[in-house]
Amino acid sequence: MTLDSPMRINPMIRHRASHIGRAVPRREDRSSLMGRQRYIADLKLPGMLEVSFVRSTEPHARIVSIDTGPALALPGVHAVFTGADLADVELFPQKILYIQPVHQPALAVDRVRYVGSPYAAVVATDRYVAEDAATLVATHTEFDPLPTVADLDQALADDAPRLFDDWPDNYLVNFPADKPEVRKAFEEADHTFSDTYVSQRQTGLPLECRGVLADEVDGEFTIWTSTQSPHIVRTTIAEMTGIPEPRIRVIVPAMGGGFGTKTHIYPEDVVMPWIARKLGRPVRWLEDRFENLVSAVHARDQRHDVDVAYDDDGTIRAIRCKAYCDVGSGEIFMPGTATVFVTGGVLTGGYDFRNMEVHHFCVVTNKTPSGAYRGFGTPEGMFVMERIIDRVAHLTGTDRVEIRRRMILQEEQMPYIMHGGGRVDSGSHAKGFERAVEMIGESLERVRARYADDPDVRVGVGYTNYVEPTTPTYHLTTGHWAGYDSATLRVDPDGAVRVGLGTTALGQGTETTAAQLAADALGVDPDDVTVVMGDTDRAPYGLGAWGSRSAIVMSGSILMAADRVMTKAQEIAAHMLEAAADDIVLTDGRFHVAGSDTPTVTWSQVATAAWVRTVDLPQGLEPGLEMSGYFEPPELEHLPGMDGKVNAAASWSNGAHAGVVSVRVSTGEIKIEDYVVVHDCGTMINPMIIDGQVHGGVAQGIAGAMFEHFQYDPETARPLFASFMEYLYPTCSDVPMMTVEHFETPSPDQPLGVKGCGEGGTIGPAAVVAGAVDDALSDLGVEIKATPVTPSAIRKAIREAADGGGER
Amino acid sequence: MMDTNPGLREVDVSVSINGTQVSHRVPARLLLSDFIRDVVGLTGTHVGCEHGYCGACTVIVDGDAIRSCSTLAAQIDGSAIRTVEDLATDGELTPMQQAFHENHAMQCGFCTAGFLMTLESVDPDGYQEKEQVIDLLSGNLCRCTGYHNIFNAVCSTWGVDS
Amino acid sequence: MKPAAFDYYRPGTVEDALAALGTSETAKVLAGGQSLIPAMNFRLSQPDLLVDIGGVGGLDRLEVGPSGVTIGASVTQSRVMASDEVAIAVPGLRRALRHVAHLQIRNRGTVCGSLAHADPAAELPALAVACGATLFLQGTAGRRTVDAGDFFLGPFWTDLAEGEIITGVHFPSEAADTVTVLDELAWRSGDFAITGLAAALTTRDGTVSGARLVSFGVGGAPRRMAGAEQAVLGFALGDDSSALYGAAYEDGFDAVDDIHASAEYRREALGALAVRSVRAVLASNGNGTGV
Repeated sequence: MTLDSPMRINPMIRHRASHIGRAVPRREDRSSLMGRQRYIADLKLPGMLEVSFVRSTEPHARIVSIDTGPALALPGVHAVFTGADLADVELFPQKILYIQPVHQPALAVDRVRYVGSPYAAVVATDRYVAEDAATLVATHTEFDPLPTVADLDQALADDAPRLFDDWPDNYLVNFPADKPEVRKAFEEADHTFSDTYVSQRQTGLPLECRGVLADEVDGEFTIWTSTQSPHIVRTTIAEMTGIPEPRIRVIVPAMGGGFGTKTHIYPEDVVMPWIARKLGRPVRWLEDRFENLVSAVHARDQRHDVDVAYDDDGTIRAIRCKAYCDVGSGEIFMPGTATVFVTGGVLTGGYDFRNMEVHHFCVVTNKTPSGAYRGFGTPEGMFVMERIIDRVAHLTGTDRVEIRRRMILQEEQMPYIMHGGGRVDSGSHAKGFERAVEMIGESLERVRARYADDPDVRVGVGYTNYVEPTTPTYHLTTGHWAGYDSATLRVDPDGAVRVGLGTTALGQGTETTAAQLAADALGVDPDDVTVVMGDTDRAPYGLGAWGSRSAIVMSGSILMAADRVMTKAQEIAAHMLEAAADDIVLTDGRFHVAGSDTPTVTWSQVATAAWVRTVDLPQGLEPGLEMSGYFEPPELEHLPGMDGKVNAAASWSNGAHAGVVSVRVSTGEIKIEDYVVVHDCGTMINPMIIDGQVHGGVAQGIAGAMFEHFQYDPETARPLFASFMEYLYPTCSDVPMMTVEHFETPSPDQPLGVKGCGEGGTIGPAAVVAGAVDDALSDLGVEIKATPVTPSAIRKAIREAADGGGER
Repeated sequence: MMDTNPGLREVDVSVSINGTQVSHRVPARLLLSDFIRDVVGLTGTHVGCEHGYCGACTVIVDGDAIRSCSTLAAQIDGSAIRTVEDLATDGELTPMQQAFHENHAMQCGFCTAGFLMTLESVDPDGYQEKEQVIDLLSGNLCRCTGYHNIFNAVCSTWGVDS
Repeated sequence: MKPAAFDYYRPGTVEDALAALGTSETAKVLAGGQSLIPAMNFRLSQPDLLVDIGGVGGLDRLEVGPSGVTIGASVTQSRVMASDEVAIAVPGLRRALRHVAHLQIRNRGTVCGSLAHADPAAELPALAVACGATLFLQGTAGRRTVDAGDFFLGPFWTDLAEGEIITGVHFPSEAADTVTVLDELAWRSGDFAITGLAAALTTRDGTVSGARLVSFGVGGAPRRMAGAEQAVLGFALGDDSSALYGAAYEDGFDAVDDIHASAEYRREALGALAVRSVRAVLASNGNGTGV
């Protein structure tokens, strides 16, 4: 920790009331309520043309020929570009040393590896005509189909078709493991079992699809794109296209959600400025929902082959887990490889368990590339861990709450180093679990009573205790960027504050929380703070909003910048008050000498001296009142140590979820009757916004637990989805109302004790729902091993348990 | 008998939109959502799926909430349309808008207009049970809020016991 | 996702609509458009002519008389659902419409459009069969009527001839001793059914004396469940349900296997729905209160 990274508000600032910790209503709301928020689809430029991408209809094929003639002949069509036109524009910077190289041109040139892969772009006067032309290009494309790979087993078969000819097999990542202490435990334990757990393919699915609007004037590019990482998009475009980076301005308009899917650098991000330059006109592409389902990254497609060693008393001695991630074609940057390492690293969640051996594999298939989705590997891992715990509890006759009590992390164990090196700095794991057990116990009784007279309905309860790694390193993910972010604070002559942030907003209320932080950090009112982000010309370089990082990085960078502003402001005020700078304090927005209420000078007087009446500045002091802070979170590591361990997250929030479900045995219908969350993300900046993050996260977790599933034909690798009729995005009827409570255990390492809260809600539901269904159907011998837990899957499990007599 | 196709590639559409009369000649295939957004220029109505599932494009036509992505502009010639831009009066939010704000019933805001127009179109007297509110809200998708606070905003505005 | 180009025609009479349909082989009738327009947005449907019957005089009639309810081709589902007179004459309509999509869809979607579209998992075709509804068809060759039970031939396939349109449908008034119910399993609220059952049950002295049971979402079209209809006769509330369940399960012999559910699941669900629907009607004392 350096002096430049303060952990708390400058003690020279005294407030009547702090803004941090208050449920300040959101400043972002009004424009949306009135329909005046501007998303990418709301932007137009004079002379703008619309682009439609032509996407592969084949899962795996060589492109033999493309006849663009008929499309070009259509009135209103300005141009058609194919992969060959951009063959020199690579999409995938080769920076990550531990994976196989993926050479991918921005548009597929001679080979496509998934349905949805873009291989041509049509430019027309409007989207209707562009789609007419895209259809013509598609029908005039000749493909030579290649053998397909639809799933892990097919990809790993000895005679599997290979997706990339220069690879020896279909492993993008192949990291087996061998731990002697795990082997030893398997020899010594009373019992062992082996099983397989599966998380299905899903996606973040923001309600707003992606989009890019690109314009070039005199060699200067402006690119509006719906991304979570505008600066990274800018750097990558510069690198891939050779456009000098200062000539690129990336602007993120209002965003209709991201959830990780918009962290990636997509082909369209690079192709659109290329087209704008080529045609000398602004061009816009708006992803439609079909494109979104087949070409925005998928996630969570994992299988875990586990061996577990345990003793008669319910002690788990060792877990060996072969973690496989089906990353689709792998043609995306950042690649979808990091999630499986997160899964392996945090699989033990809020439990004290380290005798783990995790093998990590990423495998390519002829499916949409996979990548980031809220939770980033943690929901998959928690599902596996809680399934193992429930199984051991069952096999040894141990109570499911009791077995968790024995394993859960205790406060005195903090900081706790997890098996993979994750350093859980603090938390309320045991306390949170007890509270969740208490809350759900009450509702369990109520629900049991409600169905007491219906013999077809069974009621059960499920639990999970997770940790949420926040503010992760980007280095292991991208091979390039790491962990910092930035803030620039300027006090204008009127005393109002402008905050520029390197992170960006995608609907999570960042402007409101940043204003709360800056207000306290400079002793001003939040209404006097303006927040600017998502524009590479107006905001400082930063890595963006993903990995639940904004709370930590903007706290740190705002505090750093504010401290620098304060130091200078004190010097100016001291000069004006004819006192020593060290004696100057700021009380409710006015500078004065400590111990004396008058005279005072205001922020406006200080800032006016700094910018306007510079004759009032102390001799030799540089004009201006604008300072930046670049905050690298302490404790965050970017590369594994010699032992292979790495603390890849700056902090670790925690949570306990518990849920009660009812299941109709005859139909497998499942209803979440109650759901409770006991959450701890350290110091809360805005509790209202945190609750909203938890609610939305839980809803997405439930979507994964029970509804959403991208399915592919195992014979052909063709997607069996094209719309929301197949991909079941839950409605208000399908998500329960939930109870959220908080503990507030500040991080000892991070500024203000903040930890981050964007993903925690998503982590719990798959584990909770599976546990609760098992519990409800325990007398039938049902054990859930895969998500989504649909009525059809439940009935199948009931049948299989009856037929097989049940292993259990 | 007709010998030739009597249809037209382009049609004249005259509607009242938020109280203002507009007339445009547009392609017959133009979706109402695109008419509102691109022709009239009211972009508060959002497009989320273009196949009638997400409800982001919900507008009110002659009093009824409908999906503007699954309706042709040609079909509503002569109708009166209301969009989200018509809710607040002189910048003063409606009670429902205010409740969305106070209950944190919105995050990214992309679905918000659709929810508001659905809610605006119905008589609250028909939705005094919480199950009725949940059923009504199920015609609009939200990815951010988990619906929890939307439900609370509606119940608080309509006096429904949640 | 924008529709391919087409010509649009909005006739004022059925005759003009039919004449226009005769000019093109790919022409489609547009009523509410709630299935057709999404399909056109995906370019799964690319008609060269759309004949919008929204302005055809007379097709907007919703008539309730002693014999039942007659619903014109342009009458929306919401209008039917909102009518208390309809709910008294044919209570099954309101019960079934509760399961149809969402408010915004029902505000434009028409009852007849749903029948013409003949989605195998849709509620209204099954209800029409269970109620013994009659469809009124008109083509250039003239008018005819067809029983709902004979109308649905397969997935998205009906007895409608080329160039013929549905002008209306008549649902007969529900007999005093009969209750029509519709129950379904759908993974989300408002979705088409994974498995559904429409049932018109006649009861006497607490037992079932007559039944029309129609499955939907199971096979390719709504279909009468011959075995279950037989098995349910004489069924009383406290009776063992295994024979009824088994018969309904067998009636699902051609259940489809898809991404949402297995064929076996659909057969089990059909058995369970049959038992639960019959019990619900019997529990209401045969008058349908609360079902």
